[in-house]
Amino acid sequence: MVAGIGSRSMTKSAPPTARLEGSRWTPYIFTAPVAVYLLLFQGYPLVQELLLSFTSTSLLSPRDHVYVGLDNYNDLVGTSDFHGTILVTALYTVACVLLAIGLGLAAALLLDRPFRGRGVARAAVTIPWAAPPVAVALIFTWMFNAQYGIFNHAFRFLGLASANENWLDNPKLALPAVLLTTIWQIFPFASVVLLAALQGVSAELREAAVIDGADRLSVFKAVVWPTIQPSVALLALFITIWSLRRFDLIWLMTQGGPIGATNTLVIELYRQGFVYRELGLAAAVGMIGLTIALVVTLIYFRATARAERAKGQR
Amino acid sequence: MRGIWQHRLRMLAVLALLVAAVFPLYWMLVTSLTASSDLFAAAPHMLPSLAELGIYREAFLNIPVATWLTNSAIVATGTMVLSIALGTLPAYALSRFRFRGKGLLGFGLFATQMLPEAMLVVPLYAIFGQLSLLNTLAGLILANTAFTVPVITWILKGAIDGVPIDVEEAARIDGCSQIDIVLAVVIPLIAPTLAAAGVIAFFHGWNEYVFAQTLVSSQELRTASVGLAGFVGELSTPVHSVMAVGIIYTLPAVIFYLFVQRYVVAGLTAGSVKG
Repeated sequence: MVAGIGSRSMTKSAPPTARLEGSRWTPYIFTAPVAVYLLLFQGYPLVQELLLSFTSTSLLSPRDHVYVGLDNYNDLVGTSDFHGTILVTALYTVACVLLAIGLGLAAALLLDRPFRGRGVARAAVTIPWAAPPVAVALIFTWMFNAQYGIFNHAFRFLGLASANENWLDNPKLALPAVLLTTIWQIFPFASVVLLAALQGVSAELREAAVIDGADRLSVFKAVVWPTIQPSVALLALFITIWSLRRFDLIWLMTQGGPIGATNTLVIELYRQGFVYRELGLAAAVGMIGLTIALVVTLIYFRATARAERAKGQR
Repeated sequence: MRGIWQHRLRMLAVLALLVAAVFPLYWMLVTSLTASSDLFAAAPHMLPSLAELGIYREAFLNIPVATWLTNSAIVATGTMVLSIALGTLPAYALSRFRFRGKGLLGFGLFATQMLPEAMLVVPLYAIFGQLSLLNTLAGLILANTAFTVPVITWILKGAIDGVPIDVEEAARIDGCSQIDIVLAVVIPLIAPTLAAAGVIAFFHGWNEYVFAQTLVSSQELRTASVGLAGFVGELSTPVHSVMAVGIIYTLPAVIFYLFVQRYVVAGLTAGSVKG
């Protein structure tokens, strides 16, 4: 049986009229294993969590559910602790997006122009990204140590009097410390993606702008930014989603403390489930976090669609 | 004149960037090679002392590092193999075919990126209990692959998009089946990206912590991430021994990564970003 299936690929190399032969069942046979796999190990547990969020269930007897309707959600939404969790999550996520992309872009612009040793520099900058998060938590916790940490050694060397700060135990400094660690770990990803995006910047346009007497900032705004903007938007989406679900780094450094200063939604989820043993409440926290991630994703897709339309009209 | 200074300033910025990127791991190495008496000195030692290599021998003797690393390697390799095996054909289908449910599959793959491991671990615990997968490395491989296979599929789809369809025609005329074409024609053409995807899956398995912490309880099956996590912020084990374990866990990954990073970067930017 022959069925011509036009393949509409996203890149230009595969022509839109390309025809493939094969059974009409071929795509289903090819995708069935992964679909079944994901339904079993992601879809089914997700539905279980959703159902769990409407129950009161203890970790000690996870099979005994008491249906409580929306009580878990009501209990959460009313408390100031949960408002704090939402605030910390928002601060952490927005800071991750802005700082990782900002630093990543600065690094990408620095490493874009040729210089001697550029290849080595490009490789070295990606090292933090390759380091396991548990090891990152380990070394940064040691570096932030009040008496023996290298950060305080450095501050003492610079003659700062209050250089015995216990970073991870100070409610004001714990979030910045965890953020610094996170940014160190993830900015290479942004820089790698943006470095690739910069290769798409037209050299002729850039030269034309320079000949027209444009200064650096204007060239960046008029030529570079429009080219890399889609990559920046996609990065913002991914970093948002990853920040909303990041667990190991934060948990190992602070367990969400001190007094909730680094308590993001995922940490709160884990705490409710495995410290307070309230699986129902934990599931409700998870669902709220997932809803936020979905909303951000929807906003992203609507914004990109609008940008595409605007481009088409021009 | 202005050009020279601009160049020097840029190089200074590059240098600062490199120091910031490399310093924490360097500091881990230095701490792991510092004598006990110097660990808590008023001024830190900035250079590793090779005379202290015995710390590593001690770490191997007192801490079951070898077992941990073996378990991590098994989990990482298994995750890599299973992810590639499961991800290649759907990547081809997403790239080449138009079919019902394609959009749903694409969204499903993306949606997995939003699910925190810490959320799924409770229901997974119950499922694994029924499938006798609790406390097994195979269980960890299965749980990890659920998170890696969507990424791998997406990256491979990006690479297959770049393979001109004409190259498949000759094989088709020769009467090859669709699967043969994927295996014999397409896979060799996307080998670098396939390697990159494999590396990414391997790293995910090597780094993973939540599942390894909750779905496995026996000491002999502990992975390096879980073993090392037990030391974070704890001061009863000598810090230099802990950092030695950290280096043993981190350095192979980083060195391996540096060898393949060119492919990883190419694969990642072709697939996940343009897609």
